[in-house]
Amino acid sequence: MRKSVFLPIFFVLVVCLYMSFVWADDPTPTVSKSGGTVGDSKGAASYAVDKELKDTHVELKIPVTGEQPGEAASESKGTAATPAVTEAKELKDTHVESNDPTPVEQAAKKASESESKSDVTAYAVNEDKELGNNNLEVETPSVRDPFQSYNRGVFVFNDKAYYYLIKPVYKGYNKVVPEKARLSVRNFFSNIRMPGRFLNCLFQGKINGAATELARFIVNSTIGVGGLFDPAKSQFHLDRQNEDFGQTLAKANMGPGFYIEWPFLGPSNARDTLGYIGDIAMDPLSILAFFINPLVPGGASGYNTFNDVSVDGGDTYESIIKSAVDPYIAVQDAYQQNREKKIKE
Amino acid sequence: MKCRKMMLGMSVGISVLLFTSSFSLAMEPGKLLMETVDKGLTVLKEPALSGTEKTQERRQALWKEISCVFNFEEMSKRALGQHWKKRSPEEKKEFVELFTNILKDAYIGKTDTYNGEKVVLLREKQDSDYAVVQTKFITKNGTEIAVDYSMLNNSGEWKIYDVIIEGVSMINNYRSQFNNILLKSPYENLVKRMQEKTTEETATQ
Repeated sequence: MRKSVFLPIFFVLVVCLYMSFVWADDPTPTVSKSGGTVGDSKGAASYAVDKELKDTHVELKIPVTGEQPGEAASESKGTAATPAVTEAKELKDTHVESNDPTPVEQAAKKASESESKSDVTAYAVNEDKELGNNNLEVETPSVRDPFQSYNRGVFVFNDKAYYYLIKPVYKGYNKVVPEKARLSVRNFFSNIRMPGRFLNCLFQGKINGAATELARFIVNSTIGVGGLFDPAKSQFHLDRQNEDFGQTLAKANMGPGFYIEWPFLGPSNARDTLGYIGDIAMDPLSILAFFINPLVPGGASGYNTFNDVSVDGGDTYESIIKSAVDPYIAVQDAYQQNREKKIKE
Repeated sequence: MKCRKMMLGMSVGISVLLFTSSFSLAMEPGKLLMETVDKGLTVLKEPALSGTEKTQERRQALWKEISCVFNFEEMSKRALGQHWKKRSPEEKKEFVELFTNILKDAYIGKTDTYNGEKVVLLREKQDSDYAVVQTKFITKNGTEIAVDYSMLNNSGEWKIYDVIIEGVSMINNYRSQFNNILLKSPYENLVKRMQEKTTEETATQ
């Protein structure tokens, strides 16, 4: 009976593994050089084409429609790049392959080169590698999103579920349960889940991190009354090591794979989904589920997730949504950037 | 050892300051930022401006204190990325205005729920005209949020051009959105969506 539960999980795991290797075959993520290409010899026009055609693997870029080759060159500065870009859009549908630099491309190149000369000062930031976080030059790896229409559907569903189901419930819950109690619930579950963080620290070769987790567990389980409080942080300044299996996989050079929005769980990607399954396997609650009764720990785990949202007050999610022009992309990008940061740490 | 290095760094820094930029009176980016944050917090803590009925007044006062430290043109330029230079001067001006409004609504609106959060300056890095100031927000329940500010020195004035919250760069986030919209539709559509966003915000206020 119990084995039947693990069959679908195993299936998902295999699919994810397969997919993430298929999609992440190139270990260096495709980088988008938004804005930063101005100073490059590549030129803005051909860059835009690259980006357009990334998924279709079209090498280049000949005018299919009746664009006159010389036209781009005669365009005034600043608009010269536009024809090539529009052509790229048209090309997307036609899948033409060619490596010959066409007159249009050369013209566009020339135009963007001359442009880059006059515009050097504005984008001088590109040479400034020292600080490492100038955004024109810190290239956001583009997100692979082959299932975007499905993802957008789930995104809408999750958004509605959040506003109409989860939010009203936690508003009531917050009124009944004082914040201190909610924090204790969070601490308690966080303490129980120490093995996952401990193991992931080890997997990533973070011996100090693993030692910190061990020390935190000992302190919080004893002085912290079975994990209800977090004296390890408040008294001993031992910070929780938020390492998960997705980060471990990333450290082992696995690419993020495709982006996916799971119902209720929210944004993820192929690698982090696999990581999530790995984390479940390392979660003592799932071991309890295996040996006792899957409902109790499952419910407990769900309650913990809900409690976390109630502590946060949904602020993180809501503030991203509120300030976004395209909320789906905003959440996707925020997820991506946040994961990148956690992996780097 | 560390101390000696620091002393060395400081003396080099001081001599560089003395000999090369004796004319620039630029305030240190970190100091400037923290002063602005303090000014903002003073407004938020002001009893005369607290409560929901004073929301508009408080937002106005806060905006007056902090808007001068943001470089909205630089932000717009970076958020549009490669598309910026294809725009005419009028379009650029319109875009800066629209984007400023969106940022204002988004981030000033956030302060309505201010609840005694503390801001701590962690460190600042500076390299010629660029600087990053790393801070930490500490909420009442002890949650810590890493907030970094990217700043640019524009003829002696340090201004923020990006805010990075827990690794999420605000400008990169908008650039992803704008790029995505511009891949599928013309620039006019982006402007339209931004206008809708602003009117929607004012409607809910």
